[in-house]
Amino acid sequence: MKILLKGVLFFLLFLPMISIAQSTVSGTVVDATGQMPIPGVNVLVEGTTNGTTTDFDGKYTLNGVTDGATLSFSYLGFRTQNIPITGQTNLDVTLTEDAAELDAVVVVGYGTTTKKDLTGSVSLLGEKDFNKGNNVTAENLLNGRVAGLTINTGGSPGAGSEIRIRGGASLNASNNPLIVIDGLPINNVANGGRSVLSSINPADIESFSVLKDASAAAIYGNRGANGVIIITTKKGKQGLKVNLDSQTSVARLTDKIDIFNASDYRSLINERFPERTNFLGTANTDWQDAIYQDAFSSQHNLSVSGNLTENLPARLSIGRADQEGLRKTSSFERTTTALSLNPRFFDGTLKIDFNANMSWERNRFAPGVEGGAFQFNPTQPIYDPNSRYGGYYEYTDANGIALGNVPRNPVAQLMQTQDIASVRRYYGNFKVDYKLPFYEPLRAVVNLGLDNSESDRFYEIDRNSALGTNALEGEELGVRSDTDYKSSNRLLDAYLVHTKAFGDFNTEVTAGYSYQIFENQNFTTGNVRDPNAAPPELTLDPDVVLLAYFARGNFNYKQKYFLSASIRRDGTSRFGESERFGYFPAVSGAWQLSDEDFLKDSNTLSLLKIRAGYGITGQQDIGSAYDYLARYGLGNTISQYQFGDQYYNIGQPFYRNAGIKWEEITEYNLGLDYGFFNGKLSGSLDFFRKESDDLLSQAPVPDGVNFSNQGFQNIGKFTTQGIEFVVDYNLASTDDFNWNVNYNLTYIDREINRLAFGQDILVQGISGGTGNTIAVHREGYAPFSFFTYRQLYDTAGNPIEGAYVDVNGDGILNDDDKYISGNGRADVTMGFQSSMNYKNWDFSFNLRASFGNDIYNNVNSGSAQYANVYRTVLNNVPTQVLESNFQNTPDVLVSDYYIENADFLRMDNLTLGYTFDEDKMGKGTLRLWTGVQNVFVITDYSGIDPEITNNGVDNTIFPRGRTFLFGLNYGF
Amino acid sequence: MDFKLKNMLKLKTFAAALLLGGALISCESDLDVTPQDDDELLADGFFETEGAYKQALAGVYANLSLTSINDPGGSNIAGLDAGTGQYIRGLFNLENLSTDEVIWTYENDPGLRGMQRNTWSSDNPLILGVFARASYEIALSNEFLRQTTSEMLNSRGVSGELASEIETYRAEVRVLRALANYHLLDLFGKAPNVTENDAVGFDQVGEIAGTELYTYIVTELTEALPNLVEARQNEYARVDQGVANMLLAKLYLNSEVYTGTPRYAECISVCENLIGSGYSLTPDYLYNFMADNNTNGAQNEIIFPVVNDGSNTQNYGGTTIIIQGEVGVPENNGESLGVNPGGFGGLFRVRPEFARLFTENPLYINDARNTLITQDRPIEIDNVGNTAEGYLITKFSNRTSDGGFGSDRTFTDTDYPLFRYADVLLMYAEAVLRGGGGSESLALDYVNDIRERAFGDTSGNIIQSQLTLDFLLDERSRELYWESHRRQDLIRFGVYTGSDYLWSYKGGPQSGTSIPDYRKLFPVPNQSLSSNSNLTQNTGY
Repeated sequence: MKILLKGVLFFLLFLPMISIAQSTVSGTVVDATGQMPIPGVNVLVEGTTNGTTTDFDGKYTLNGVTDGATLSFSYLGFRTQNIPITGQTNLDVTLTEDAAELDAVVVVGYGTTTKKDLTGSVSLLGEKDFNKGNNVTAENLLNGRVAGLTINTGGSPGAGSEIRIRGGASLNASNNPLIVIDGLPINNVANGGRSVLSSINPADIESFSVLKDASAAAIYGNRGANGVIIITTKKGKQGLKVNLDSQTSVARLTDKIDIFNASDYRSLINERFPERTNFLGTANTDWQDAIYQDAFSSQHNLSVSGNLTENLPARLSIGRADQEGLRKTSSFERTTTALSLNPRFFDGTLKIDFNANMSWERNRFAPGVEGGAFQFNPTQPIYDPNSRYGGYYEYTDANGIALGNVPRNPVAQLMQTQDIASVRRYYGNFKVDYKLPFYEPLRAVVNLGLDNSESDRFYEIDRNSALGTNALEGEELGVRSDTDYKSSNRLLDAYLVHTKAFGDFNTEVTAGYSYQIFENQNFTTGNVRDPNAAPPELTLDPDVVLLAYFARGNFNYKQKYFLSASIRRDGTSRFGESERFGYFPAVSGAWQLSDEDFLKDSNTLSLLKIRAGYGITGQQDIGSAYDYLARYGLGNTISQYQFGDQYYNIGQPFYRNAGIKWEEITEYNLGLDYGFFNGKLSGSLDFFRKESDDLLSQAPVPDGVNFSNQGFQNIGKFTTQGIEFVVDYNLASTDDFNWNVNYNLTYIDREINRLAFGQDILVQGISGGTGNTIAVHREGYAPFSFFTYRQLYDTAGNPIEGAYVDVNGDGILNDDDKYISGNGRADVTMGFQSSMNYKNWDFSFNLRASFGNDIYNNVNSGSAQYANVYRTVLNNVPTQVLESNFQNTPDVLVSDYYIENADFLRMDNLTLGYTFDEDKMGKGTLRLWTGVQNVFVITDYSGIDPEITNNGVDNTIFPRGRTFLFGLNYGF
Repeated sequence: MDFKLKNMLKLKTFAAALLLGGALISCESDLDVTPQDDDELLADGFFETEGAYKQALAGVYANLSLTSINDPGGSNIAGLDAGTGQYIRGLFNLENLSTDEVIWTYENDPGLRGMQRNTWSSDNPLILGVFARASYEIALSNEFLRQTTSEMLNSRGVSGELASEIETYRAEVRVLRALANYHLLDLFGKAPNVTENDAVGFDQVGEIAGTELYTYIVTELTEALPNLVEARQNEYARVDQGVANMLLAKLYLNSEVYTGTPRYAECISVCENLIGSGYSLTPDYLYNFMADNNTNGAQNEIIFPVVNDGSNTQNYGGTTIIIQGEVGVPENNGESLGVNPGGFGGLFRVRPEFARLFTENPLYINDARNTLITQDRPIEIDNVGNTAEGYLITKFSNRTSDGGFGSDRTFTDTDYPLFRYADVLLMYAEAVLRGGGGSESLALDYVNDIRERAFGDTSGNIIQSQLTLDFLLDERSRELYWESHRRQDLIRFGVYTGSDYLWSYKGGPQSGTSIPDYRKLFPVPNQSLSSNSNLTQNTGY
């Protein structure tokens, strides 16, 4: 590393040595439809790094252009124009929009390609495609935009998301896609942050590449199973450019759980529980209102890019995000800074990219009090001047000491809990890409990456809280703990790229090596106020080392017939010596039919390309790594055993599986890219089939021969099949009016083919009893299928409490009578986006829909029964009880009565903007905009939000608000 | 130009160095990682320290109490909630909850309804938990025996005093393994046939059942006995000859159930041995079930305790669930039992049939074993979920004999008396009545010893003619309720199944109904059957 740094310094010293002087070319670049100037167009002397970008008036000036050189004008979303220079000094250029974006550069693993050359299933999203609005985390720029990619973001500020590409590939191991930032695969550990992506400023992102099928992802070997999302950050460009982006927003609660209000509740008690009326209070409290607030947020980003010296483009940005959550006290604050230095030497043959990002995140987590809020007696007050618990009302005994087994005041719980995590993270990479002077076709690339994060989490429950340690004994200690996390991730990639054309036969071969090491540790004090709590504990995870050799060849003939093949030999320290290496091959091909003579001149069918791919990827990220080692664990002080007068720390062996290995995913993809009317209408259609084999499953072990009755084993198989369809239509394209719409549809069908010993695996815990589950993995069905009794109804259509269909007809109603009654995953998801410009106005909105997804309404199933009204004290219950008339939770908890259809259509955002151009502004342009996020949801689901994670079990969520935004963007 | 060339050369060197650097780091041996945490060691590393052997021994014992190595909420067996999978709690569920002694309020907890209404299926998680937990005890024992062979000890340079001490550890571990096998025999009639000679992994070992299993356990105990410390001479909570003999006595007493062959004479002989080993009834019955029962004198009566400790041995089973579960709602009498006022929300009540053992005859008002709380409570339980119905008990407590509290209000200090001397006296009497020989007058004396301790005087004493098997069945329940004996006793007395004795919710309905004979054994859990095709299901399931 030291040597490397010296090398870098050495080069920086010699930077000014390189200079050439020739003639100057200048001009304006406008778009063909609107004749509007396009800022930010890349202007480059082909074969060199001499280039610039257009300013906000679309103007450029480029020095050092030699006669006979070719100038290339490129801009994402437009067809690149190459114009030879024959003495012109003024060159105005018109760019045509290219809906299919065939020349767009697509970042793939260890290299780039163009959309035209793609053979696998890869989606590219540049800045202009990003979702608008209040997007605090990177993945929300993508939500609903990519067929086959689903993103389900929580409601808390800065919340993380459940991200799935083609539904994921695993049952028990991770289903998260691999995320790669500027070539650095990042670790999937949040460690006190809201999520792995929450420390990244979305404003620093230039593009996403989503590698969906195995033929594209196999280059990432045993980490490619769930697809790959490659994030490329913004780089320095020629020409000074300053951009300020600011927005503020306010979010409001949209819906609440339907429970009895204070007066209805009084009637309920008087009617049904007349012997309990003495428990009624005199207050009228809406506990749900009491725990929520209007949440204000703002985001500000400032970036400057330009060249520091002639050959040193650079970009610097700072960003700040402040978000409040709807749930009181929750907040998210983030400060980021990103520096990118991108020097080019020796006529562009040596490219160096240095990206350094720093981020500081401060999260205050609010405890989940939704359950408490809907249960707490609405006739009781929030505050009680006589309360020893900080003035908050609590249920107490005659001495004023809090009772056990009763709900706690949810407002007190929020206000008396401080759970604050501060995260410092720095990540970046240093990449050298050198075209070897002695052998022109060969490039050597070395990429060094680093991602370090440190965080500390402070947790305290006030001493005067009824939730604290020993509070029930009248000795109030509260709770206090600190947790520190440290993680680091270091990468070295080194590869050679050989590019050569043999006549019409073009080849590009890449071969290289990758080494990555992850270290992780945490220290927790435990609850220092509890004399009998677990002691402070430092946990050092074993290092995870990943090491790989890879090679890829891209070939095409006449840019019509494409073939790509790759292989990776991948090793992981998570598995034993005999199993740790695997080969992950992929091959794919494409045929650009539209370039064949019989279609070449057709303007109607302007693009037709058929793609086919096959690949094998793996999954090595399993929950319990190192099962292959014969390990012993030493117990802590609360888990000792007594001999005589002494307590001994116990030593016990851990579950062992010497043969554990990666999951293997084989995927076939058949795709079609099309374009009509010169690209006015374009899109793609993909069919895929994924077979996940050797699934790491938490499977039963023969009793007595191992150190558990279940453990991770490579047993199991499931298949995912699907269709993805995308269409992009440029409805209008005139001087004043532009309208573009985009629609995507994904159909996914998942089925478990094989489980260990054919055994059902009961999964997905629910509330209402200890250890209940509601779902099952069963051969022949989708994972996490709801597994319930079938409710019987009387002639009037009302459910009969505790009466179910004797499914197997044996006269006994027991576990054998459960059946599969639904699934939380959607069969079909859709996204729709419309963006419109009229003169200086712009207007856009996004819709997202989901069909075939069910929800088990655990809020109702666990609470909406009359027997829950009186438990030591009076509790509120959902008004759904009026419909069911159910008495006892145990009798109805696992009924299909609580499975609901949760199809939905949601408008994610709506944005309206106006741009003041330079004529009015004098200098620079200013765009003012306003918008609404989470505009509406249409659904039959009776709970507060049909979009939940948790495999379709709704057990209260952090609600998503409706957000109203106002923003401005100023640049020159 | 010259400069540029030089630059180029340097650059080439640099690029080459970078690539070379890459090649150098490509050390594939980096993939051999070792645990770095001080709490996680490779087996060989663990046994490097001399103290490790006792820690590993503690590990084998601890499985009777703990569910994981560092967290009462965690579990090293899967398929059910951590606390529910605790050894003693599992035993209590199968031996007591499936009988007339107790009822569990929350039938929405998985498996509970089937257990307490005797309608369990082979998917019942409580049954899975017990089969897995006992088998895990066998696996831990086998691992200990593998790691402590003389070859292993020699290779690690262990010799002298430690080596001979380890010899004793090994004998203790064989008894613990026999204990687990005994529980499997009693509850399932069979066990996985696995010893220290089998490999760790996934072998589908055969099963050992009935007489064969019985003989194996008896042989193991007999072989271990000479290497064990004499009764009452080992450290507290460790196995001694008394524990091994107690197990033998239990096996002999139930031999007719297990093998078809009665062995009451052998039972009497082992009981005599135990009676001569220096155990004594602690003067106050309730001292056996208090937070300081390891020091208050009860240690002279308790033959084998399973340790619980609020600070050092935390788990959600054992006496923690029992004491927390005893707390009544609406009484909120947790304080008097040494736990939080509300306990676990009125988890347990006793069924009316058990309560009547103390209430039908006014004599038992003065019985120290009668801990019923009856005030404002109906004896009948019409609605299982209604915590206000049915009587409570207060037998187990987290208060100490001098009125103090245990070290924690959630996790209790009270050790669970798995085997108690009073049981030896009752076993002796029963074996005599069942024709095993011995002395009828001694049998009466022993029973009256227990009665005198219970009543504080001779007012509860019985005469020879009152000493019948029917009396003994009731007396055993009065003396040993909630100590994981009841199901075994009811089976031995032939009234667990069938319709001769119906108790509330037996077989399902409140009035009780007959249950078929095959339910004397629990089914082998489906999961265990599926992962080991060499196990067979019990008849009827």
